[in-house]
Amino acid sequence: MKATTGRLFNHLDRREIERDIGAELQFHLDLLTQEYLQRSMSLEEARDAALKQFGNVEQIKDRCVEISKRRHPLVMALKCLLSILFVTGAMVRIVGWDFHISRCGDLLMAVSILSWALLCVRLNPSRFFPQHDTSFTLKLTDQDSFAVYDQKKRSPVERVISR
Amino acid sequence: MAKTRTDLMQGTLELLILKTLASDSMHGYGIAQRIHEVADDLLKIEDGSLYPALYRMEERGWISSEWDVSENNRRAKFYKLTRAGRKQLAAECANWERVSQAITRILQTA
Repeated sequence: MKATTGRLFNHLDRREIERDIGAELQFHLDLLTQEYLQRSMSLEEARDAALKQFGNVEQIKDRCVEISKRRHPLVMALKCLLSILFVTGAMVRIVGWDFHISRCGDLLMAVSILSWALLCVRLNPSRFFPQHDTSFTLKLTDQDSFAVYDQKKRSPVERVISR
Repeated sequence: MAKTRTDLMQGTLELLILKTLASDSMHGYGIAQRIHEVADDLLKIEDGSLYPALYRMEERGWISSEWDVSENNRRAKFYKLTRAGRKQLAAECANWERVSQAITRILQTA
């Protein structure tokens, strides 16, 4: 019970999310650095090479935090609350026996829609305020276009999915 | 000789991750290594780009994750395919085949 409660509160803590993501990315960077060290590079060269292969760490971390925030239990609860508010507003609007009461329904619906829109913008800043994002690169390497195909004429992607 | 630096179709990275996780649960580094290895280093993936993709896929319920101890005794986050992920993998593979066949046909006739 204590562990479950602890886990719940940890999950609610934004700093915990950031720390977990940081630890995950650091683990990857450390292994990459180790890999380059085994190729007889100096520690500094290995770190640089690892960072180059990894990409923009801060941008990637921000994207991961942004996505994690969308799954945050508080956000889910807020979404539920706004949905309930909207449905309540619609019901009041439909069954409102008085002009003022049906206006209350309108108000509830308007508040829930606006809050939902604000929440969406807040949770997806990169979608609404796009910046140059280099964290989604998947490219073929700089080679002769025919060299990427193997003897069975499979592209690199087909090689991975046919395993 | 002309150099090629071709952007691949959107969703390809997700497909590769799903396929890589189909056999075993892995951490992000393991997934990147496996893709580099199988694609003979012909696919240029910035390793970090895997993570936003992994988080999005977890959000969609295709994969799940849990912290465990890695082969070098460090705490690492391991990802594994869910049932929904297996379905998605089958759908994505079928889609890839269709697109691939269509493009091949056009290239052969043009």
